[in-house]
Amino acid sequence: MSSKESCRSELRIAIRQLSDRCLYTASKWAAEQLVGIEQDPAKFTPSNTRFQRGSSSIRRKYRTHEIAATPIAGVSYVATPVMEEDELVDGDFYLLAKSYFDCREYKRAAHVLRDQTGRKSVFLRCYALYLAGEKRKEEEMIELEGPLGKSDSVNRELVSLERELSMLCKNGTIDPFGLYLYGLVLKQKGSENLARTVLVESVNSYPWNWNAWTELRSLCSTIDILNTVNLNSHWMKDFFLASAYQELRMHNESLSKYEYLLGTFGNSNYIQAQIAKAQYSLREFDQVEALFEELMRSDPYRVEDMDMYSNVLYAKESFSALSYLAHRVFMTDKYRPESCCIIGNYYSLKGQHEKSVMYFRRALKLNKNYLSAWTLMGHEFVEMKNTPAAVDAYRRAVDVDPCDYRAWYGLGQAYEMMGMPFYALHYFQKSVFLQPNDSRLWIAMAQCYETEQLRMLDEAIKCYKRAAACNDREAIALYQLAKLHAELGHPEEAASYYKKDLERMEDEEREGPNMVEALLYLARYYKLQDRFEEAEVYCTRLLDYSGPERETAKSLLRGMRSSQSSLPSMDVERFPP
Amino acid sequence: MSGIFKQPGAFAITPHKVSVCILLKIYAPPAQISLPFPFSSVAHHNRLGLFLLSLTKSCDDILEPKLDELIHQLRMMSQNWMSTWIIDQLMTRLSSLSSPDDLFNFFIDIRGILGGPDSGAIEDDQIILDLNSNLGIFLRRCVLAFNLLSFEGVCHLLTNIGIYCKEEFSNCPPYEAPSLDDSSSNLETYSEYENMDLENFVYEKVSEEIEARKEANERIPFHLHVPNTLLSLVDDIDVPVDSAASKQSEKVRVASPYGDPSSNMLRDDDPSGAVFLRTNWQVQGYLQEQADIIEKNGGAVSLNGFEIVLRQLRKLAPELHRVHFLSYLNSLSHDDYIAALENLHCYFDYSAGTEGLDFVPPAGSNSFGRYEVALLCLGMMHFHFGHPKLALEVLTEAVRVSQQQSNDTCLAYTLAAISNLLFENGISSTARLIGSSYSLFTSIGISLSVQQQLFVLLRGSLKRAESLKLKRLVASNHLAMAKFDLTHVQRPLLSFGPKASMKLSTCPVNVCKELRLSSHLISDFCNESSAMTIDGAFSTAWLRNLPKPTGSLLLCPENGSGSSSNVSQFCAQPTSIPGSVMQVLGSSYLLRATAWELYGSTPLARINALVHATCFADASSSSDTALAYVKLIQHLAVFKGYKEAFSALKIAEEKFLSVSKSQILLLKLQLLHDHALHRGHLKLAQKLCDELGVLASPVTGVDMNLKTEASLRHARTLLAANQFREAAAVAHSLFCMCYKYNLQVENASVLLLLAEIHKKSGNAVLGLPYALASLSFCQSFNLDLLKASATLTLAELWLSLGSSHATRALNLVHGAFPMILGHGGLELRSRAYIVEAKCYLSDTNFSVFENYEIVIDSLRQASDELQLLEFHELAAEAFYLMAMVYDKLGQLEKREEAAASFQKHILALQNNKNEDDPLVGVL
Repeated sequence: MSSKESCRSELRIAIRQLSDRCLYTASKWAAEQLVGIEQDPAKFTPSNTRFQRGSSSIRRKYRTHEIAATPIAGVSYVATPVMEEDELVDGDFYLLAKSYFDCREYKRAAHVLRDQTGRKSVFLRCYALYLAGEKRKEEEMIELEGPLGKSDSVNRELVSLERELSMLCKNGTIDPFGLYLYGLVLKQKGSENLARTVLVESVNSYPWNWNAWTELRSLCSTIDILNTVNLNSHWMKDFFLASAYQELRMHNESLSKYEYLLGTFGNSNYIQAQIAKAQYSLREFDQVEALFEELMRSDPYRVEDMDMYSNVLYAKESFSALSYLAHRVFMTDKYRPESCCIIGNYYSLKGQHEKSVMYFRRALKLNKNYLSAWTLMGHEFVEMKNTPAAVDAYRRAVDVDPCDYRAWYGLGQAYEMMGMPFYALHYFQKSVFLQPNDSRLWIAMAQCYETEQLRMLDEAIKCYKRAAACNDREAIALYQLAKLHAELGHPEEAASYYKKDLERMEDEEREGPNMVEALLYLARYYKLQDRFEEAEVYCTRLLDYSGPERETAKSLLRGMRSSQSSLPSMDVERFPP
Repeated sequence: MSGIFKQPGAFAITPHKVSVCILLKIYAPPAQISLPFPFSSVAHHNRLGLFLLSLTKSCDDILEPKLDELIHQLRMMSQNWMSTWIIDQLMTRLSSLSSPDDLFNFFIDIRGILGGPDSGAIEDDQIILDLNSNLGIFLRRCVLAFNLLSFEGVCHLLTNIGIYCKEEFSNCPPYEAPSLDDSSSNLETYSEYENMDLENFVYEKVSEEIEARKEANERIPFHLHVPNTLLSLVDDIDVPVDSAASKQSEKVRVASPYGDPSSNMLRDDDPSGAVFLRTNWQVQGYLQEQADIIEKNGGAVSLNGFEIVLRQLRKLAPELHRVHFLSYLNSLSHDDYIAALENLHCYFDYSAGTEGLDFVPPAGSNSFGRYEVALLCLGMMHFHFGHPKLALEVLTEAVRVSQQQSNDTCLAYTLAAISNLLFENGISSTARLIGSSYSLFTSIGISLSVQQQLFVLLRGSLKRAESLKLKRLVASNHLAMAKFDLTHVQRPLLSFGPKASMKLSTCPVNVCKELRLSSHLISDFCNESSAMTIDGAFSTAWLRNLPKPTGSLLLCPENGSGSSSNVSQFCAQPTSIPGSVMQVLGSSYLLRATAWELYGSTPLARINALVHATCFADASSSSDTALAYVKLIQHLAVFKGYKEAFSALKIAEEKFLSVSKSQILLLKLQLLHDHALHRGHLKLAQKLCDELGVLASPVTGVDMNLKTEASLRHARTLLAANQFREAAAVAHSLFCMCYKYNLQVENASVLLLLAEIHKKSGNAVLGLPYALASLSFCQSFNLDLLKASATLTLAELWLSLGSSHATRALNLVHGAFPMILGHGGLELRSRAYIVEAKCYLSDTNFSVFENYEIVIDSLRQASDELQLLEFHELAAEAFYLMAMVYDKLGQLEKREEAAASFQKHILALQNNKNEDDPLVGVL
């Protein structure tokens, strides 16, 4: 990796260039990373100290990774020369246009720049036009809502923009920012391949525009496409790859990328949040919680990604922390979909499902394609026993993202609730296909097969086996496997699974009816096999419990003793000294 | 359908509707006595009214027509200056709308042409729009929709009217600026080259396939199982668009082979061409019509073309979930399993089964949704794709859920579906599955065979349907009952004691009785919820027929109702009977034909098949029509010889190129096999037999009928090759199979075959019991023709036991003669003649010299008919006998003639190897 100092200077220039072109999101992102670069402890100035957070335990943990991750052999970064500005002094018209732009008067800004030929001015005019079109589109979407739902209105500037930008592209007078805008337009028009090429060209010549990377990421929908994209090596590429892997659900790869990046950008909130996201997908809730607590401390007014934190708090049932979070985001910015989602989660945890649905609805009004709100709303409807509404909500989630295994799972559950287990199987199969390492999904499917109406026990056994193979936390699978095998008359398999289950319960020091059942079965099984010693061990363990099993154990023991005494010779034969 | 229109504001005002309003104003100007200005007669005036009515009702497309289309139609409507005047008026009034205020004034104005609530008091010849007439309601809805618009809405309307007019103006000169521009920019962005290449590739493959087919046609047409997808691609490319396609979808279709739907969509979205959906009612009607077409003949709708329309619809009306259902139907008819499954699930997830199905739920909303319908559809889908086990599993769940939800309608349909499934796939292993689920069986507590279960199911579903007054279901249940009666002996389900009578109902009279019950129901069919489609279809057809020059005559009062030129047009209209009913009615005729065929009355069978082919061809599904053709061709082959049959088959093959290939293919193989057997081409026969066996392979699900057919033919081929032991073995195993699966009709013919085998191998004594058994089977199933043929075989067997039995044999033959001569085919008849002659000849009391004419006559008859059939073996026998008789009589010349014919046939039989079969070449 290039030195921290060079990163820093690159970013500083980039931020100015980006904000000159009113690409505010990208410049915000770049600035976050700039501040996220760790200071060399030798020469930090007092004003920088408050960004130092080396004391936290998590930080220390990642330090250790840093050493391992830094040397990646064979990667030499091409030092991309920072672009020279063509106009050293900004024109008056440009300044006026930029002020209009900053006041969100896009059409006015474009109008002011109508005859300007400088690259910066041309870009700003096109970008302003684009945004004006987007704004109008959003408005029309509401105005033109047809009787059968929203009609899709389009950005009316796209055609003329495309014509102009393609002309510029042909002349070779287009700069990387223009390419980015061209890619954006092409993507909206649906020609994805061309858009991808154009965006790649843009990021290769100017890698610091995070917006371009994000657009490119959304165009790399499969790993094959991602691998065919030809990118120059630059440290920005690592950011891109990390987030692309995350999008493609390759969480471990993405995690290792981020940890490597932490070596340079040790204080980046962005990276921390992304790591939390990956950990969340890997269901490491404790780590996620710690990461978010840290993030809250350093960046208390953050709303982005906080809905995930609320999910974790929900799963851990920490009422007070969730209410605190909800209060905080509410005070910061209540009209953000994330905020609404957090409040919805809070009400759901409280058991007030109607209110919760109201807030999820609000979140969806703010962003129709907000995936997790659809899914969570589906959960709420399930709680409210309104299955058709739940099915509808889940289906919309699936339409937003067909890879959302939670929504598929929810659909399956809803149908199972309605007593249609066979129909539900289709959905469980979908969700299991997308997330084959989640034992809960396998167990749900197995239970579906096991229902009274289907009784497809062989299939159920197969599913439980898969569940047991992928780290079944609630330890349902082993017990169920044992029971099913016993039911189907496979005593050997049943005994071995009971034994495994027993071992597991002993490891985790759990007690309960399952324990008694396992002991009883094993005792009986070994007795039938004439292996009295083992049987005796289980019987004596049973004696520690109260209830009818204790009596059974006693009688079993008695039976064994009597048969042993009546056939002493057999015994001697079997166990020679 | 009433449930769909609940949303408020489901009626949006669009430029096209504004145009219609203007036309309405021309049609009925306020405060005008008698005829308004431009109309020369009442007829013309009425014609405009009818035109407007059609515009509001037609459902041939999802999008509203553009202004140029509207003007085109107006021109079509009447050719004189009147239409020009109307168009001028329309254009000026449209272009005079230049500010929101003009629109407000226009709509206030428009209100004036509506009659008041007390319009009865006005004189007769004053023209007003009744408030409650169709057009009146339309106008009121327009006004209401306008009044509900926000200011932004009015602005949008104004802009859109501007675009709507501008398009017309710019389109009048040859299509220039916008379209040219568009295409160039599209070319530049043409990034989907891979896509295009793929399409080209497929296209090449298709043409290769066609080439291959041509080549193969010159030889023996084996292995022409063109995959369906390719066939449908062929459809996409060169099949002329069927009548239902409208202009717009034609455009789409033309575009579709070039494979870039996204660019297509974009063109539609272009700001220069604002698109508007028609009214909800019209769109639903369009979908309904498409569904009917798909149901009737799925191959006629192109997969991609229709999918593009649907995608557009989905974009314009995301809450119209019915689109998913149509897309399910579309992929179902093109055998795209995955897409069908996806769309089905999607549809029911969104709509919960409460949208747009034919059987409207009972009043009172059910918050649960009607997911049992989803199960029913899923079950049918699995059935369609040949997964009977899955289908049964799903349908069982459907039974349970509909019982839980007490949705009796769905239950009745599900039971009907299950019985249909059991009927088609007589799998013995299904017994357990269904037995465990349906409470009736478990409550009886005895195990029933599949057939008995089927019977119980049929009865149950019939009763349910009757009590629910689901007439269509009742009708089709009666059909199913008739079908069941045809192939099964009906025993009392629970027999108490030995005396329980065994009632047979395979008699065609019984079947027909059952059938009449169903058609009776149809005749008093009252139109349930079908008014909409009929209205819509009528309007669509009317609009489509505008260009026909007969227009001026239409509805002239002078001509009265008898305007002859339109009679045919009106006849072609769907009558008040909806298509589905026609279909049920049609299949009842087919069933009737089958019943008579089994019974042995060929003329009646032919008549029924003919009725189906002529009257129901366009109403019924293409597979049904194909079946009717198959029956007719079989009849031809049996009665007129192969040449005619093959030429008819060629016609049928062309007609049913894409659909129901298997039926026609099966028939072709059957005919070729028969023909080869008769001519003694045993190798070819064996090859054809193997081909049949391939058709019956279990890849696509086991078809028992096909399987028995294949092995029956196999045994027959072996018999023709004189491999008696092998033939007997095959026949035996076949009999076992038929017995196991209760295929009673087949049992009889297998037994007869066994008797034949023994007869030919010279073991007449062994053959006798088989023949007798076959006879008794035939008797108990009323298979009269088969019985006659069995009697014939029996006579032959007796005859071969020695001349002492000749009289007995002769009596038998004579007993069977009425049936054989009345209904038998060429082969059977000539066989009977030969046997009769043989009987006479071997009878010791018969003197040839006295009565030789009897013998010669029958032999001549036989030989003539056999020559038609090219049945060399039997023909040779006939000529041989003839020669012998002439020899005895001493007529040497005639003897030589007969002997020469004998030699010819024998030689043909022996030398067939090096001879090319002309008929095979023809195919």
